[in-house]
Amino acid sequence: MRNDTITRRGFLGLTAAAGASSLLSGCGGTASDGKRHVEVVTYKQEAVKIFERLQDEFNATHDDIVVSITCPNNATTVMRTRFIREDYPDIIGIGGDISFSNFIDAGILADVSDFEGLGHVKPAYLDILETLEFVPTEGTFGVPYMANAAGVLYNRQMFRGHGWDIPTTWQEFIDLCETIRAAGILPLYFGFKDTWTTLAPWNALAIELAPSDICQQVNAGRTTFTEHYRETAEKIQALLAYGEDGPFAYGYNDACTAFARGESAMYTIGSYAVPQILSVNPEMDIDSFVMPGNDSSDGQVLNSGVDLQFCVMEACPDKEAAYEVLSFLLEHDNMQTYVDDQNAVPCTTDDFDLPDMLDGMRDYIEEGRMADFQDHHYPSEMDVAGQIQTFLIEGDVDAFLAKFDADWTRYNRDIIQKVQDYYATQA
Amino acid sequence: MPEKVKERFNWPITIALIIGLVTVLFPLYMTVVIAFKQPSEMTNSIQGILSLPAHWSLQNFRDAMVVTDFWRSLFHSLLITGVTMVLTILIHSTAGYAIGRNMGDNPRFRLAYYYITSGMFVPFAILMMPLVKQTAQLHIDNLFGVILCYLVFYMPMNVLLYTGYLKNIPLALEEAARVDGASTWTTYWQIIFPLMKPMHATVAVLTALGTWNDVMTPLVIMSGGGMNTLPLAQLTFQTQFGTNYNLAFASYLLALLPILIFYLFAQKQIINGVVNGAVK
Amino acid sequence: MGSTSKKRTFLIMLIPILVLFFCFNTLPLIRGLIYSFTNFRGFGGYDWVGLRNYVDLLGDARVGNSYLFTFKLALAATLLVNVASLVMALALDSKIKFKSALRGLYFIPNILGALVVGYIFNYFFTYIVPFLTNTTSILADARHAWIAIVIVCAWQSIAMNTIIYISGLQTVPEDVYEAGSLDGATGWNKFRYITFPLIMPFFTINMVLCMKNFMMVFDQIMALTQGGPAQSTESISFLIYNNGMAGGQFGFQSANAVVFFILIVTISVLQMRFLSSREEQL
Repeated sequence: MRNDTITRRGFLGLTAAAGASSLLSGCGGTASDGKRHVEVVTYKQEAVKIFERLQDEFNATHDDIVVSITCPNNATTVMRTRFIREDYPDIIGIGGDISFSNFIDAGILADVSDFEGLGHVKPAYLDILETLEFVPTEGTFGVPYMANAAGVLYNRQMFRGHGWDIPTTWQEFIDLCETIRAAGILPLYFGFKDTWTTLAPWNALAIELAPSDICQQVNAGRTTFTEHYRETAEKIQALLAYGEDGPFAYGYNDACTAFARGESAMYTIGSYAVPQILSVNPEMDIDSFVMPGNDSSDGQVLNSGVDLQFCVMEACPDKEAAYEVLSFLLEHDNMQTYVDDQNAVPCTTDDFDLPDMLDGMRDYIEEGRMADFQDHHYPSEMDVAGQIQTFLIEGDVDAFLAKFDADWTRYNRDIIQKVQDYYATQA
Repeated sequence: MPEKVKERFNWPITIALIIGLVTVLFPLYMTVVIAFKQPSEMTNSIQGILSLPAHWSLQNFRDAMVVTDFWRSLFHSLLITGVTMVLTILIHSTAGYAIGRNMGDNPRFRLAYYYITSGMFVPFAILMMPLVKQTAQLHIDNLFGVILCYLVFYMPMNVLLYTGYLKNIPLALEEAARVDGASTWTTYWQIIFPLMKPMHATVAVLTALGTWNDVMTPLVIMSGGGMNTLPLAQLTFQTQFGTNYNLAFASYLLALLPILIFYLFAQKQIINGVVNGAVK
Repeated sequence: MGSTSKKRTFLIMLIPILVLFFCFNTLPLIRGLIYSFTNFRGFGGYDWVGLRNYVDLLGDARVGNSYLFTFKLALAATLLVNVASLVMALALDSKIKFKSALRGLYFIPNILGALVVGYIFNYFFTYIVPFLTNTTSILADARHAWIAIVIVCAWQSIAMNTIIYISGLQTVPEDVYEAGSLDGATGWNKFRYITFPLIMPFFTINMVLCMKNFMMVFDQIMALTQGGPAQSTESISFLIYNNGMAGGQFGFQSANAVVFFILIVTISVLQMRFLSSREEQL
């Protein structure tokens, strides 16, 4: 969803955005002051304050290395234009999505498998990064830092007041929606005018109803989306009945405001929406649960992906210094600071205090029962979000699935070629 | 004719224009009201959006100024816009003059006219990456490069405007000057350039407006350079999953003022131009 | 006698400007043209794919729809804006009270940033209009959402075109009107037979500029619909930017941009020729 949301939500940019406040311009390698310089560019503009603090702390405690961490808004554009100029930062902080896959494929990321810090990263997240490679590639190309989780946010106070229980199967979820509606309250809010929001329920359902490696399987020519996405499509369509009237008229911001004002009991979105909701209603008690997509009570998995990882660029001249910066960022207290401020899910095995609104997902997180957002494998130019919105407006499952398969082969032609060449040489 | 000084106003048109203002004032009202509100006052209801803020406080404006590093960003914006505008007027009017006076009988100038004006239709997205690379190779991935890009981007439109305007300036004026022995340059600077004042003001307004609000060019040309213009700084209000509309609107209102003042000044020049000048 | 030196002076004026233009417009365009024969993603390596991108363009329904949508929008908006701004220019240039204030206020839509315009008009179409007319939001209606975009485009750009018309009106000498009023030309006739022919060059300019601006519409789309609902408002520039720059289709969208460029230049040259010939007739 990452890549997609940047292009769709970052409309102010019509474009994009340069840095927050005054950015320190840094450059890699050793500079005239005899110190080793490490430049980190992350795409987490909302975390700019934290990273400024971490940067200053690092510089105060390290004599030989100077780090500069910047968080430009719509960093995709900033990073891309810098790549074009071959003006590479040393480390980039990006999401685990298809641009990461593309960067690996383009050979601009360095193998960091010799970085010790990887030892205490949860294996589940390292696996997620592996599956993002178009074809199995030797090495590890990112250090997972923070994850996000998506499912259903709910108004805890409202749920307690009515004595509603958290559903664990699809049937229970539908029953709950009926109960809420019977109580005269709108069960769900969608905000599907902003197409990317359709991906939140879509992903949450798809991970439970379709194989987690469906995209790789399709690329390898083993199956089709028509075969595996039908149930997901039908279920997301079924949800429409429990949302606001005319969900395509209201956007993400409307949905956040409506949910914050108690106009709906639940909201199918990720934990990332919480700050926006709280800005409207700072007193609100929000919790979340895993969207139950199927009917086996132990078959639920949490929709969680790598939200922020650090990748060392191939062009980085001083990998050792870069590792030192990474080790610092991965220190427990520094991560906790980030978790507290951003409501994020840390990717390492240390003990953390998790934010309240993740209460309902805590067990899944601790047990590592999770699956990556499927849209992290969708090419942004295919605009799957727009296709889901189109399908929800028009309601034709068959047409949607047929188009999905046709477009997939069209937009992934070069990747499919690459995958099939790979398997041909393997065989 | 001193009686003429006593102007008779056309009241029906004045009133019609005042009524039409609602199309501008209503959105402006919403902008102002939102700029004064707190995020917690935002609702999805019509009464909610139209109601006045609970407290009138300039805090949003103060916060917005801090977040955008207002004075520094303003300075950069003024610098880029100002320099672009001056160079634009000097260079593009010259080009417009050279082309406009010759394209009638000289196919090479006509070709130049079509060559430049066709540049207007090149989608910026296709130029962007090559330009980024080119400016970096020339080491002008900075303010200077941005201004240079603007000079080229606005050239087609401005050449179109200047050549169009020249059509209404009689050749006789220049010929008279030339008979007096003035060179082409002198004729241009002393007679034609001042005559084009209304068009200079128009070009200035259009160019200034385009550069003032532009995000893309400074972003991609200077990306990572650390120099923020106002529109770049304003992007801070919009993060991936949340937008602080209240601060953003306050900031936009602040950014609107300089250009509005400039426009009011420029539009006087548009009117006081040719009519009072030499065209008789 | 001075004819050759005069000509040389004109060339000296023009050549450096042409060089500058070539370096920062044509040269990058040529590089873009080269990318259109590759599968370049915007970074990393790429392969030559010959004419594949161009062949793909022909069969791409989404691209086809974006052309239809863009033309429809550009045509409607160009007509609306030109009529409206001509009326506005005449009104604001007549003997009205509060002239400066009115001109200033009517200029504001042109300066408001896209975030503000997007938010306000989203609110307007999503909540206010449905409330007043008891309908559903036009922005959620795949068949009519384009009309909302035309309205916002017009709202924003009328100011700019009005300025150009006003500056055009300044070139009409007072004595022409005086002569005209002696002949009894007033109102519509005065406009039709005196004013309009004299500002015809500005009409040409505005038509071309409008057509160009609306053919390249991008900001308003991002602010209002982001291509939705049901991908019904994806403009050509929207696809080129989102899929080429921000997505991974740089090579393909470069091909799209090249085709678009050739098409829009052709249209504009025809438009200019037609209007210039009208100018001469008048």
